[in-house]
Amino acid sequence: MQPSLREDYLEAIQHFTILNGHSPRPHDLAVVFGKPESEIQSDLGNLRASGDITIAGDTSVNLTKTGRSVGECVMKKHETLQFFLSEILGMDSSTASSEACTLEHSVSDETVDRLGNYLKKTRPSGNISADGTKPAVYGYTGVICDESCTPRSLLDFNEGDELVVRCILGQSCAKRLLDLGVVPGEKVKIRRKHGKDALVLQVKGCDVALSPEIAAAVSVERFL
Amino acid sequence: MKIALLGNPGAGKSLIFNQLTGLGVEVNRYPGSSVCLECGNVCYKKEKIEIVDLPGIYSLDGNSEEEILVRKFLESGEADIIVAVLDSTKLERNLYLFSQVAEFSPRIIVVVNMIDEAERQGLIIDVDTLSGRLGVPVLLTAASEGREIDRILPLALGSGRVVSIQVPYDHHIEAALKSLEKTLGTPRYKNLLALQGTGEDPMLLDAAAAIAHEIELRHRMSVRQIIATNRHNFARNIAAAAVRQGDQKKTYDLDSLLTRVFPGVPILIAILFFLLLFVFVTGSWMQELIVQVFTTYVILPFGTMDLPPLVERIGFSVLVALEAGLGIAFPFIFTFYLGLSLLEDTGYLTRAAFLADRAMHRLGLHGEAIIPMVIGFGCTVPAVMSLRILKTRREQTIAAFLISMVPCSARTVVIAGIVAAFVGIAWAFSIYLIVFVLIILTAVLLSRITPGEQFGMIVEMSVLRRPQVRLVLAKSWLRIKEFLFIAMPLLIITSIALGLFQYFGLTDLFQQMVAPVTVTLLGLPGYASTALLFGVFRKELAFETLAVLAGTANLGSVMTAAELYTFAIVSVLFVPCISTIAVLYRQLGARITALISIYTVFLGLFVGAIINILMK
Repeated sequence: MQPSLREDYLEAIQHFTILNGHSPRPHDLAVVFGKPESEIQSDLGNLRASGDITIAGDTSVNLTKTGRSVGECVMKKHETLQFFLSEILGMDSSTASSEACTLEHSVSDETVDRLGNYLKKTRPSGNISADGTKPAVYGYTGVICDESCTPRSLLDFNEGDELVVRCILGQSCAKRLLDLGVVPGEKVKIRRKHGKDALVLQVKGCDVALSPEIAAAVSVERFL
Repeated sequence: MKIALLGNPGAGKSLIFNQLTGLGVEVNRYPGSSVCLECGNVCYKKEKIEIVDLPGIYSLDGNSEEEILVRKFLESGEADIIVAVLDSTKLERNLYLFSQVAEFSPRIIVVVNMIDEAERQGLIIDVDTLSGRLGVPVLLTAASEGREIDRILPLALGSGRVVSIQVPYDHHIEAALKSLEKTLGTPRYKNLLALQGTGEDPMLLDAAAAIAHEIELRHRMSVRQIIATNRHNFARNIAAAAVRQGDQKKTYDLDSLLTRVFPGVPILIAILFFLLLFVFVTGSWMQELIVQVFTTYVILPFGTMDLPPLVERIGFSVLVALEAGLGIAFPFIFTFYLGLSLLEDTGYLTRAAFLADRAMHRLGLHGEAIIPMVIGFGCTVPAVMSLRILKTRREQTIAAFLISMVPCSARTVVIAGIVAAFVGIAWAFSIYLIVFVLIILTAVLLSRITPGEQFGMIVEMSVLRRPQVRLVLAKSWLRIKEFLFIAMPLLIITSIALGLFQYFGLTDLFQQMVAPVTVTLLGLPGYASTALLFGVFRKELAFETLAVLAGTANLGSVMTAAELYTFAIVSVLFVPCISTIAVLYRQLGARITALISIYTVFLGLFVGAIINILMK
């Protein structure tokens, strides 16, 4: 098995586990890689043989200690490279992501560490600090939005629109929204809307009425 | 043995609580909080079991009073068993809270309630899967039909189990939790809270804040969002495994009528109008009856008992206070709460809040504030008591000022009895107009100067359902009990003070002292000040006392129209009544209560003086 393929698998398993809170099954991985499940099965067999993963009784795939450390390392490389390519070099995010997929296998740990440190320095720090002067804005894809790229809020969409939450601006109202399930990546629907006034949002099967100032803080994009 | 019911708002906890305990419920205030806990005792297999109904919450991490209370309650380990009540139609969202409760590792059983509603929506819940995944016993109930409710206690006492599930958090969070546990020795749930900036231990908070900052840098996402997302994913997985969508019966969506501007707003106005009409008509009828019966059978016989004057005076004051209390408690507060509980239980109230949001915004408030404001037209006391539903102190303060000015039914008696009867109907309406203008001006002013953060409305729309007569009655009864225990003692004390005041001849002294104000400023006869003073006691007493002091019920023959008009408007605006002051004090503390009282006194005198000048 090629080293880059192995790293791709470990990264994907780790990423899936973090994102979904449980370990992937072979068919999950088949979806991620766009390969037939039979091919995935045989690759997983190789990975198990090399001691990177264990496969539980319910076919869920878990990383071993070594597997996890490799997966995390590759994931970190991927994130750093992608961030560098898209945010600093200005490439579009899907190209940046696929480019990062290739680079992550050959780049050395040191290069990534140094790149990471460099990015930390150049990153607009006001967005991240909790000093309250500037609101922290986080996109669910991990992209930091600054004031210049104003994302579209709930108020910009119409009754009946199906949307995906990108991020929640501001901190004060965020807590209750998070508790009600308005979290980044969540699919929501506008059930009722009166002009620029209060609206009713359907989230996790519940209807929630929001004041316009709260709705303005929820940045969304159309569900495709 | 102590059992606590815990769950999301609207999961049917109260209904279960009521069915378990019956009506013998006590309301206790939890130490250091203004949130009320309902407790009740039941006997099961010769053992006394205390059941506590914790306030409905969405999360355990927040800093609202309810959330802090439930957190403290869980931390203290006071309850032997927690009964987690989950709404079967919103299982995923309800499991989010459950995942938080599990962190405190209490002994727990899960009650998945409103299974009847779930069946209607075609949801099939697999008890065994759910119970297996959660590691605790699960019971499906339908509290509105009383289905399986009798199995809750045996199950709770017999097989409550310490919950052992853990949400798999992001590995950075897990690492942070472990390192905090290792270095400071604090339990996992505390560390989780600390990472989100909640807690009391400064050392832990400092350490957690540093790590949280690190994690936020890495994830470019706040720790709260990461944790919430992990929990929601966890809940989603369990819900996905345990809930199956079967055939759904197509039902008519009433919301297509209720939440649209048309016909939603006309429906809202009609409902509020009929609510007021109902309370006002039945209320004044009942009040008349109660006061009449009380006067004939208690106060008059008491007067003929020939007691020493001082004793008689004190006794008389107590009786008058009781009369006043009962005279508003049952007719107005109880009927209003009946109507309100009805609206609440049908789920309409959240629709009203949604529709009213825009109008309330203009007043510096939010949709939810419509409830206290409307109640204010009936009686100020329950209106102030319902301020609790507003989330921030800022909104509570603004709303408290406005409510104290809204003409309650007692003030309507004054307006009707004095102005409409002796001056003219149009003039009576002009008083309403003046009061509304003043309310709006006050709101505009207050929304600018009141400190505190503006917090918009985030209200979950409750499902529309048929109300349960028993629960509506129980709720109203509970609230009226609250009033009787809080306001009554104060009412009696003030009444005695006022009685003694009169007994020692201080009323005349008072009349002379305030004569410059009443006579010169307002242009009223001297005895009007005493009438106003009695109005503080109970608003319509101002009218009654005036008639007594003037020596005739035909006020038009002793006072000019201008005098009557001034008197009415002053007594309408002037200081909320004693019962209101009592609940204001309890709800918002001494400072706000004093501010409201002073503000309304000055407002009353100011407007009275202007009218006096204009009408001369």
